[in-house]
Amino acid sequence: MRTALILSVLLGATAAGAAPHLDPGTPPAATLRAAQEENRTRPASVGATLDSEAEQHLRDSFDAADIAHRGTLTRAEAQAGGFGWIANHFDAIDTQHTGRVSFDDVRRYLRLPGATPATK
Amino acid sequence: MRPIQAVLRGSRVVAALAVLAAAAACGGAGGDAGNQYVDSNLYSMAATAALSTPNETTAVTHHSVTLGGTAIAYTATAGHLTALAATQAAEASIFYVAYTADGAPAATRPVTFFFNGGPGSATVWLHLGSFAPKRLETGVPATTQTVPFPYVDNSESLIDTSDLVFVDAVGTGLSEAVAPNTNQTYWSVDADAAVLRDFVTRWLAVSGRTASPLFLYGESYGTVRVPVITRLLETAGTRVNGVVEQSSVLDYNSNCSIESGAPTVNCAGFLPSYAAVGSYYDLATAASPDLDAFLGVVSSYADSTYAPDAATWLADGTLPAADHVAALVAFTGLPAAVWDRQFDVDYDTFRHNLIADTTLGVYDGRVSAPVGSALDADDDPSNTFVEPGFEAAIKTVLPGELGYTNPSTYVITSDAINTWNFSHGGRSLPDVVPDLSAAISLDPLLKILFLGGQHDLITPFHQTELDLERLASGAPVATYFHPGGHMTYLDDGSRPLMKAELAAFYAAATGGQ
Repeated sequence: MRTALILSVLLGATAAGAAPHLDPGTPPAATLRAAQEENRTRPASVGATLDSEAEQHLRDSFDAADIAHRGTLTRAEAQAGGFGWIANHFDAIDTQHTGRVSFDDVRRYLRLPGATPATK
Repeated sequence: MRPIQAVLRGSRVVAALAVLAAAAACGGAGGDAGNQYVDSNLYSMAATAALSTPNETTAVTHHSVTLGGTAIAYTATAGHLTALAATQAAEASIFYVAYTADGAPAATRPVTFFFNGGPGSATVWLHLGSFAPKRLETGVPATTQTVPFPYVDNSESLIDTSDLVFVDAVGTGLSEAVAPNTNQTYWSVDADAAVLRDFVTRWLAVSGRTASPLFLYGESYGTVRVPVITRLLETAGTRVNGVVEQSSVLDYNSNCSIESGAPTVNCAGFLPSYAAVGSYYDLATAASPDLDAFLGVVSSYADSTYAPDAATWLADGTLPAADHVAALVAFTGLPAAVWDRQFDVDYDTFRHNLIADTTLGVYDGRVSAPVGSALDADDDPSNTFVEPGFEAAIKTVLPGELGYTNPSTYVITSDAINTWNFSHGGRSLPDVVPDLSAAISLDPLLKILFLGGQHDLITPFHQTELDLERLASGAPVATYFHPGGHMTYLDDGSRPLMKAELAAFYAAATGGQ
């Protein structure tokens, strides 16, 4: 009902010339339906689930920088690939001094929950 | 003092120096003729539009504003800067207006980027209404001001604390994608944030400001945009000192005004805002003169009693005991019959039923109009009253005060929302609490300030408090809510309070630098 109302406002005003300011506006109906279905089974994340969602954002950035799909980045690769934060903290992350860091190394440095101890 | 504009402008050093010399000769308060610019590019905010030849020439004007008895000379720069991808490919020609204090040391002088939301809204609201050196006088919640709204010196400007850059997202204002991209390329949560990250990065580089403390200020959908930009900047190795979230929608999935339809989310986060509005109209019999204390009581009730009651009603239509409904009536003034009919009250039901034959504003529930009146024409008196004043003002401020002339229409609201890709982090609607969490883990010094209006009925303050409870304890977050609507800064009583809170926040977030 609310969606229909806001849409009618939008359409009416568009006909008159300018759309009224709507912020945040109502997303398209198909998006709302998809979200409502998801929300039935996926409540707002807290605790370990929130941590893993936050970590996934960082992992996505790591993977985007790892264009060679080696699972590790050099300082230069991190810098060039948009993960300058890794380049800036490289020596502290690369505790084994291999010149390459994995995402697990990043997790350990950040003390993210569930990070495994470093191994040779 | 060092002529900072000369340092900042890079290739435009000579021009900037000339302008500075002219300004020095001119002196006095207000703007001088400066470096006017007629930009002949035509900008389109249509989804398929693409600019072939970006233009980075800016209009530069010089002004002065007096804050707390001290005159602050500042330079206003209006025009476009091209956001570049990592490959140096042009992404979008971004329109911005920057207000920079003259002679401030770049290494310690903060710079703040402002973003309104929508998506599809230009950053005209923050630019002309909040903390720039000049602002529009609206008199909200009164509706007696007439267009044109007075454009006055802003004694609560943040220019004494930070340089201020107001940025229009792609497909709003005068910001357009550069071919072969189209505006639609950037009409998604993630692509929008990435191109604005690239704008911020380039602005800092070409302005000689990479060492400056960095702040981002988002409003409404901008409070989705800014956490994503912040995470992307921190990931890229650019430290963000502080984030200000104005009237937040951190999680679209938790806001019952947006997640309309299927009742998976209840409206308990709205109850304290209903109480604030009911109290404003003297209809909340349980209200106390101390609004903050009253709203604290209602927030506790919302969490402990109303939320489970509403969940039960949503699940099987069972109403709670009559004394629970009576408590809600006393808190809000909304008649018992409305609660009995639709116990999980959404904001539209509230604002159309609190007072007979009267519509209350969405953005500011204190603004009301009789049903069928001119102010009710768009079903939101608070927006219908304010919007024409802002729309008219930007048309005169750009060529007048700021010396920037362009034949295109500055688009306050584009239709970006209709084709916006809201997906983010594996959800169909964005939840940026994980982005904040990731940014905090990358930068333990990052600080985040939440501001909002107690009478805002679209991004209710208590929902923000509930969303923030998800963050780990000890998260670097502060919240302040004041009388007012979505654009809380329009309230003449609240704007000075917000200014003081912002000043303290900036001091804390730049401490030790």
